[in-house]
Amino acid sequence: MRLRRGRVLQATFGCNPNSSSLGVDVTFLLFGASFASALAIVLGALLRKAPR
Amino acid sequence: MKLQVVRARAERFGGIVELTRPRALLHVDREMMRALGQPESPLWSDDSEGPLSAPREVHVVLSRRCAAGCKGCYVSATPDGTALGYDEACLILDELSAMGVFHVALGGGEALELDYLFAVAAHARKVGITPNLTTSGLGLDGHAALRCSVFGQINVSVDGVGASYQAARGFDGFRHAEKALRLLRAVKPEVGVNCVVSRSSFDRVKEVARLVKRLDLNELELLRFKPVGRGASLDEELTLEQSKRIYPLARYLMLRHRVRVKLDCSFAPMVFFHRPSARAAAFFGVQGCVGGDVLAAVAPEGHLMGCSFAGRAEADARVPGAMQQAWSRGFGEFRDFVKSAPEPCASCDYLQLCRGGCRAVAQAHGPFMSPDPGCPTVRAHQQRRLLPVVRAADA
Repeated sequence: MRLRRGRVLQATFGCNPNSSSLGVDVTFLLFGASFASALAIVLGALLRKAPR
Repeated sequence: MKLQVVRARAERFGGIVELTRPRALLHVDREMMRALGQPESPLWSDDSEGPLSAPREVHVVLSRRCAAGCKGCYVSATPDGTALGYDEACLILDELSAMGVFHVALGGGEALELDYLFAVAAHARKVGITPNLTTSGLGLDGHAALRCSVFGQINVSVDGVGASYQAARGFDGFRHAEKALRLLRAVKPEVGVNCVVSRSSFDRVKEVARLVKRLDLNELELLRFKPVGRGASLDEELTLEQSKRIYPLARYLMLRHRVRVKLDCSFAPMVFFHRPSARAAAFFGVQGCVGGDVLAAVAPEGHLMGCSFAGRAEADARVPGAMQQAWSRGFGEFRDFVKSAPEPCASCDYLQLCRGGCRAVAQAHGPFMSPDPGCPTVRAHQQRRLLPVVRAADA
């Protein structure tokens, strides 16, 4: 049986100073789905180690 | 590298956690929330889809007061416009904090004209909310720049460089904006530029990207011109060709100048027209209209709205408890678009992400719930005229 350890579903970086800039961070979108999947795994692993 | 979780709040899907380094908001599933030691939430017994339990961030329009008089100002600001008082702003921040809001974007008008701006920002910090600021930079001196360290991200509005600034805004303010950027950058690294992209400024955006690089700023935010406020009287919406070119232009600027480039949510249809990876877009929170869900706005008159550009007042944010009540039952005009989307949105692969584009632009041209008329796909759909029906008897 696979142990479920939790996943990161979405990541948005930085702070938004605008009324409407919750849109497209071109920097990240450029790297595509494989990068997103890899980042989700890395962030998930780091999160589990985060101090409580 | 260790991540530091500073705040977390439960959602149906699990929760949202805030990190400080890197500065990020992460949506995580229920298992991850448990792994992080977060308490069980009643929301986790609900498997239905729905809006967030509260907005992730709120745009607080502190005033319609500004001496600059920009010709396209979307809040129609004037030198003696309405403003939220200090006590009112603090009450609103207290309630937003209780709702679990992570960030506020403070703006106007020109928020720096309010002598209590820094006290409001300090109060936001005190109640656990990160305050961010948009300013024209007019009148900012070294002392005020130092005090700006209270903010998370600060963006200065620069719609063009040199004479292009004056052409876009109607007054010669570029020198002031550039000086403000230098002063702020000397204080903190989280300083960027907001650039409204209009029909006549489109070809000059490259100069603004060069400025961002030259001043070592951390982001360039390209904002779509919206025909609201004083902008309603200007004929400055992007042409079809410009709408198709904005996403490739943003990618080019990012790669050419090595600067972080962001496009505002109203540009979503122009991005999805190029068919980027939907999975990557979902992961990085690339979405169209997030009004009444991820985002909300408070107007200087106290109105809680789905977005600062459009939508009706759902509550008086100055009345204790009113925002929390309104959040659970209101905002249907924003939230219902996806389930009742007309063509061509209904059959678009990106509907769940794009959400029909910008409601403010749609409302400026017709019904609030109509597809964004600036979307290249919508334009092509509208140009396909139905052929007249010819009956056999007429033939």
